[in-house]
Amino acid sequence: MTTSLSTEAPTTAVPALEVAGLTVTFPGVVALHDVDLQVGVGEFVAVVGPSGCGKSTLLRILAGLTPSGATVTGATACPSAAAWMPQRDGLLPWRRALPNALVGARIAGQDRTVAEARARELFDEFGLAGFERAWPHELSGGMRQRLALLRTCLPGRPVLLLDEPFGALDAITRRRMNAWLAGLDLAGHGRTVVLVTHDVDEALLLADRVLVLSERPGRVVLDLPVPRDGTDGARRSLLDALEVMTRPR
Amino acid sequence: MRRWRRLVAPSLAGLVLLVGWEVGVRLSDLPAFVLPPPSQVARTAVEVAPLLGDDVATTLTEAGLGLLLGAVVGLLLAVLIAAFPLVSDTVYPLVTLTQTVPTVVLAPLLILWAGFGLLPKVLLVALTAFFPVLVAAVTAMAAVDAEHAEMVAGLGGTRRHQFWLVQLPASVPGALGGLRVAATYAIGAAVVAEYLAGQSGLGVFVQRSRKGYEVDQILVAVALVAVLTGLLFLLVDGLARLATPWQRPSLPSRPGRTPA
Ligand SMILES: Nc1ncnc2c1ncn2[C@@H]1O[C@H](COP(=O)(O)OP(=O)(O)OP(=O)(O)O)[C@@H](O)[C@H]1O
Ligand SMILES: [Mg+2]
Repeated sequence: MTTSLSTEAPTTAVPALEVAGLTVTFPGVVALHDVDLQVGVGEFVAVVGPSGCGKSTLLRILAGLTPSGATVTGATACPSAAAWMPQRDGLLPWRRALPNALVGARIAGQDRTVAEARARELFDEFGLAGFERAWPHELSGGMRQRLALLRTCLPGRPVLLLDEPFGALDAITRRRMNAWLAGLDLAGHGRTVVLVTHDVDEALLLADRVLVLSERPGRVVLDLPVPRDGTDGARRSLLDALEVMTRPR
Repeated sequence: MRRWRRLVAPSLAGLVLLVGWEVGVRLSDLPAFVLPPPSQVARTAVEVAPLLGDDVATTLTEAGLGLLLGAVVGLLLAVLIAAFPLVSDTVYPLVTLTQTVPTVVLAPLLILWAGFGLLPKVLLVALTAFFPVLVAAVTAMAAVDAEHAEMVAGLGGTRRHQFWLVQLPASVPGALGGLRVAATYAIGAAVVAEYLAGQSGLGVFVQRSRKGYEVDQILVAVALVAVLTGLLFLLVDGLARLATPWQRPSLPSRPGRTPA
């Protein structure tokens, strides 16, 4: 049982997620143009790119959601059940924190007592202990994000689609949550994760592969496997790719 | 400061009106069977108060039961309308049509069909009460936050999950808003029904007073209807607050500096 750690992402097997020639157009705006992406089972892919380039749109498509008003062309395949975490947390204002955390488990049809016990553990791990009975509006932005992440991870879906889950966190909490997310994979769950982030270091720390999208309309400009030993080179290429786009013209 | 103003300003305005009324009646020598002065109305109120217990109880029972029935029916219909487009297209226009029938026409029909007892009055109150609840709930369900619906769909939720997790709870504040509106009509509707055909209730009291040209008693009933409506509204409002605890801090923080 030591195999899952060492194997490189098996991109040759049936991919967990796949889009080919994906173009998404909103009235007057082309959000994504001709995007190809394959994510293997158990692979962790980070998506970075300038604001407004279509990262959230890509994640929605992967989650099987069609953004309202969008015209989508191209092929998408997401065979296994996914759990999507929106960029805005999507917490239900009429549910306290714990019932909010259980929404995903309920949809997945999990046993309530089991899910609740697990949720209480995670409240501890996520630094939310003591807030089980708080209403969402009583939580800080970062707490809401952590709660939304908890809700997304609790059902144990094989595919996680996370849209900037740590955007509102301070550096230290962020590192703790990063470690938790990294541990999720190492524990042998074999989960496939697509993570949208603005933080290059976070992407390098967590991901097996980093995808850089161009400015709108978003295209894949760099698809970079992250070497497990020494990420300096990868870091430089990423920053270069991003800087090309954000350089004042 | 703000609370003080909200309590004192209307009381003061009411007092000015009463004084104006009293002075006006006395100066103009209007006979009491046309318009009695408020002091006489107050005296009459004290006189008839012991006799009104049964009538008030009847009216409150009718209004309360009717409101409850109306709220339940309104919410159920709203759920059906939100869940099934066919029901929405079929039922909504018909339901709206029921609201165009004036109470004075509806009440005798109901009495014809349901007898002289409590039932036709309760039905009449329910018929007036369910509509605001229905409209408010349907509107709230249709205006569900796309963010929440998307979240449920993104976790693999079906239409059933959408309904139970998002649509139904999202409609509750709206439905309660409709119930508040309905509460202000309920007593009045019950009184009208009693007035047209009843054995007991404030409407019967008004009918009797009218026959005896006792305007002061009619005015006592008017004041009583207002007070009872106010109390019913407060009750419904309190229950609504209890039922939506997540909405408690509804006061938006006011822009401006914090006082030093
Ligand atoms: N529902 C919508 N209707 C119209 N245009 C939209 C809609 N959703 C997104 N867009 C447009 O599509 C483009 C991409 O949006 P998207 O949210 O995917 O960007 P993003 O990369 O996630 O940005 P950020 O990093 O700021 O979150 C934007 O220009 C946006 O205006
Ligand atoms: Mg985004």
